Amino acid sequence: MSIKKYDIYIVGVGGQGVLTIADILTSVAFTREMPVNYYPTKGMAQRGGFVKVQLRFGRSNVGPDIPQNSADLVISMERSESLKAVKYLKKGGEFFLYDNCWEPTAVMLGKAPYPTLKEVWQEVTQAGGAVKCLSNTDLPLYQGKRIRDNIYILGGILQSTRLKEIISKDDVVKAVTEKWPKVAESNVFAIEKGMHSEIKTAL
Amino acid sequence: MTKKLISGNEAVAYGALAAGVKTVAGYPGTPSTEMIDSLLKMDIEGTHVEWSTNEKVAFEVAAGGALLGYRTMCAMKMTGVNVAYDSLISIAYSGCTGGLVVYVVDDPGVSAGMSEQDSRGFALLSDMPVLEPSNLQESYDMAKYAFELAEAIQGPVFLRSVTSISQSHGLVEIEERILPETDHPLFEHNMEKYTKAGAVICMNQHKALIERLDAAGKYIAESSLNSLCLKTSKGVGVISVGVGNSYIDEAFDILEENQIKTDDISVLKLHNTLPYPDDEINAVLKHCTRVLVAEELEPYLENRVYLNAYKLGVKVDILGKNDGTYSRIGYYDADNLVNGICKLLNTALPALPENTDTAPEKKCAARPITVCAGCPHRGTYISIQNAISKLKMKKSEVVVTGDIGCTILGTTPPFNALWTEVSMGASIPLAQGLVYGGTKNPVLATIGDSTFFHAGMAGLVNALQHNANLTVIIMDNGWTSMTGMQINPGTAQDFQLGSWKQLDLKKVVEGLGVEDFHVIDPYDLDTTARAIAESMQYQGVSVILARRECAIQSNRRKIKYSAIKLDLEKCVNCKQCINITGCPAIAFADNTISIDYAQCNGCGICTQVCKFDALVKEQ
Repeated sequence: MSIKKYDIYIVGVGGQGVLTIADILTSVAFTREMPVNYYPTKGMAQRGGFVKVQLRFGRSNVGPDIPQNSADLVISMERSESLKAVKYLKKGGEFFLYDNCWEPTAVMLGKAPYPTLKEVWQEVTQAGGAVKCLSNTDLPLYQGKRIRDNIYILGGILQSTRLKEIISKDDVVKAVTEKWPKVAESNVFAIEKGMHSEIKTAL
Repeated sequence: MTKKLISGNEAVAYGALAAGVKTVAGYPGTPSTEMIDSLLKMDIEGTHVEWSTNEKVAFEVAAGGALLGYRTMCAMKMTGVNVAYDSLISIAYSGCTGGLVVYVVDDPGVSAGMSEQDSRGFALLSDMPVLEPSNLQESYDMAKYAFELAEAIQGPVFLRSVTSISQSHGLVEIEERILPETDHPLFEHNMEKYTKAGAVICMNQHKALIERLDAAGKYIAESSLNSLCLKTSKGVGVISVGVGNSYIDEAFDILEENQIKTDDISVLKLHNTLPYPDDEINAVLKHCTRVLVAEELEPYLENRVYLNAYKLGVKVDILGKNDGTYSRIGYYDADNLVNGICKLLNTALPALPENTDTAPEKKCAARPITVCAGCPHRGTYISIQNAISKLKMKKSEVVVTGDIGCTILGTTPPFNALWTEVSMGASIPLAQGLVYGGTKNPVLATIGDSTFFHAGMAGLVNALQHNANLTVIIMDNGWTSMTGMQINPGTAQDFQLGSWKQLDLKKVVEGLGVEDFHVIDPYDLDTTARAIAESMQYQGVSVILARRECAIQSNRRKIKYSAIKLDLEKCVNCKQCINITGCPAIAFADNTISIDYAQCNGCGICTQVCKFDALVKEQ
């Protein structure tokens, strides 16, 4: 293992599969006997509520909460919720944004503002982070059906961030296949597509 | 020994099984719920596991087993201790022959709702030992150890965790389950121990209780539970407890990265606030001139450090909450330790960016939580509003008290229907008090099914006896939902476990002699509003039982109540379906309403709100 300590801060909205991504990464760590602390905060996690996960790899005795300015990687699955994670990213850290907009009712009705991609991008840049942005518009189809976006996202993350230095594509393929043997083919397809998706690093 | 990927709550469950636990009882409450949830999913014949009606009942069920000499446990969230305490203090006085462990999870940072109550205060109040694991493995180890300690002192012991540990998952080494003992003799008849008959008995029990805490101190000292590492004499030291311990290594790493030396700092990592580890605290006080005490929430340990410094006559600067280094609010991370140690060393880290008004999260779109698509409570909240309008009153003139659980989501937009959130069962007596206070308009109380069984019934009985003029709405969705779908006494017979029996809420209310009683389906807005309006005009106690199963549970069984058809030609984009129902299955984008059929369960509430027949139930 080339990285000793690696902290990941994940944010998103209930129903997006935020916990699934964290589950997969945790089970990879488990198989590889890598120390990990996986701390989900779902509060009253109805669909549409804020969800965050803190994943701390590489230390056997570490507290669950990641301090500010210290996460190696932020994974955000919702544009607006990204803003809650910015302060946890360390200078020079990577910020993977799946640019998906899950608008709260007030925004939908035009009664409240919603941040633009540019605003979010600038906040991350100002905090010293490097944005890796995956669009949610061209989600590939597998046998005519939309693939699971959280698995696709994982492919995108492995393609574009330093996470690949501790977790390989094969690790993820194995974990996903063991978890859902019946849909293994479509999930492996989703990872592959994610690995070859277009990740923007500049606006 | 096997390694398992489990949560802190599950680690406690496995620890209890490895200790041969005979009975486990509790009431669901985030962040502690998974302890019992995980046991109920296991095949563990010989151990009785149950969700009890409330925490006091759970404690008593567990205590009964411990009186016979068995190892037993009860579990609850922090506010549950408030409910259990009445019996807890009494059993603490009596002691028991078995090992009785009270597992409680506190919530610094309030990620689970309610308060930042520090349950160690209850340990102080009842002279009970309190064990505080600082990580997942210790959650397992100390659960096992708690039974040994309780047995050794012949009295109950607290095992206290916090949200961040109980909800975390990681690798834990666990052992095989030990089957509970079965051969204990009958309960010893001993009035002096198990009753409170007279002052002499009570004061003798009080004396015995204090002696038990002293005995716990000796037992803990012999088991080397805590770790003390003294460094430079006349130097600085850190005392931490529980989850605080887990941030020390990380804080030292951060300090070293910033060229601040940590080699000379003495460290005392504690796993129990009570009995106070005086010997170890005093060793630090005699050795150091400046000491930092790092404990989340209340300064219980720190106050003891002050007292001991005074008794020892040593001049030591003590940093913590009393001098303002730390706040009593929120959870800790490594930064809290880093900042405290910097102050301890009179040094500073390179400045970190401050949180200001321009902080990124200020631009984040507000995301108020609401009830799920198809939630029956939605119908009740809308109907309360409709009933108030029917009686030509204003929402701002009619007080509706709320209670704990999913039903409290009526406080959120678009309903904004409820005025209060106090504690389990408080809605009904609070409404009664509001009536006596001279509230001009009718007063309504709302409460869920599990909460009603938990502590609501006593309030309803009181209102009935005193013939108070109020309306009680029991929102019966058949499950203890907010905590993740546990069974309660009212859950349908099909879902009760083994020989457990359903108590029909309708019969319970009828049995109490409620004269004005309406059973309605909250999916039917007109009938519900009419029933509520009638009840509000009734003189005396009215009860409305709004019955419909939790949508999450019916969705799991793939129940669709109807197919909702959206006719865009009739739709005038008035958006009332969203404004009134707030249903997450209805969206508005590109100037068009749409329905997310993956979420919609066909409850039909939106069709009753739409004035243009654009939303209809398909026959």
